[in-house]
Amino acid sequence: MYAWIWRHLPGPWPLRLLIYLVLIAALVYALFIWIFPWAEDVFNISEVTVG
Amino acid sequence: MHRKADRGRRKASRRNTPQPAPKRNVAALIAGGVGEFMLTAGAVVLLFVVYTLWGTGIQTANAQDDLRDQLGLDSGVVEKEPIPLDQLEVGDAYGIIRIPRFGDDWEWVIIQGTEDSDLKNGPGHYLTSVDPGEVGNFSIAAHRSGHGEPFAQFPELQVGDIIEVETATGTYLYELDSAPNGDPDGNKIGIRDSWVVDPVPGETKDTEATERRITLTTCWPRWGSSHRMYATGILIGGEEV
Repeated sequence: MYAWIWRHLPGPWPLRLLIYLVLIAALVYALFIWIFPWAEDVFNISEVTVG
Repeated sequence: MHRKADRGRRKASRRNTPQPAPKRNVAALIAGGVGEFMLTAGAVVLLFVVYTLWGTGIQTANAQDDLRDQLGLDSGVVEKEPIPLDQLEVGDAYGIIRIPRFGDDWEWVIIQGTEDSDLKNGPGHYLTSVDPGEVGNFSIAAHRSGHGEPFAQFPELQVGDIIEVETATGTYLYELDSAPNGDPDGNKIGIRDSWVVDPVPGETKDTEATERRITLTTCWPRWGSSHRMYATGILIGGEEV
């Protein structure tokens, strides 16, 4: 998968590396902003109230 | 000199020979894919840990800044006329809580309400509980891990510790008469044990309150929420505005 993405990125290797890092950063950002808050709600891992 | 030229030639010759397309059988492809997936999943789980321990705190810190502005704090003096407590909406800044046991600069803005969306911004006031200083049981819930972990040191609370609460109506001092007392499993209760936030803890809901109490709840264990932990106390003084 990672090699496949690498092969399909355009440009010389420094540019590819840059694009790759930007892609990964975008993915991590999406995880932190949307996926993780959702997962936290779904799995009920931080409840502090009684009742 | 010789070597360099040699290397150059080798490079050139490699470039000229046609590279055979890498041949991989299906099993190797699948194994590689599964391996990559598992590595990715591991990385995502680690990132999730980073998120819960540290990432959630960034959002909470920003929210606390906004809430302090709402209360008119940080400008030296309270500039704004405080909103009366009964006119607050769920999610609004409610007041300030200070617990010297957690440090002299330990100070959090309390939020009106105890939904997840409220508690991610700071300690929350149980909507069904009375306001500070009133007869009944003023109750607060807060996180012990993640979201700024206001109650991280909760088990360190001792009987006799002072809890200070400041709202639009005044400043109130409570003294704990039941606390974990340093025991990590002290005052551990079940998630349904809502009696601790009843007007008279331990008595039926219709028992008429005579005391002015405070109750704090958080999660047990610290990094999970299978149970709860609480501390409770009684009003010993204060100053109405």
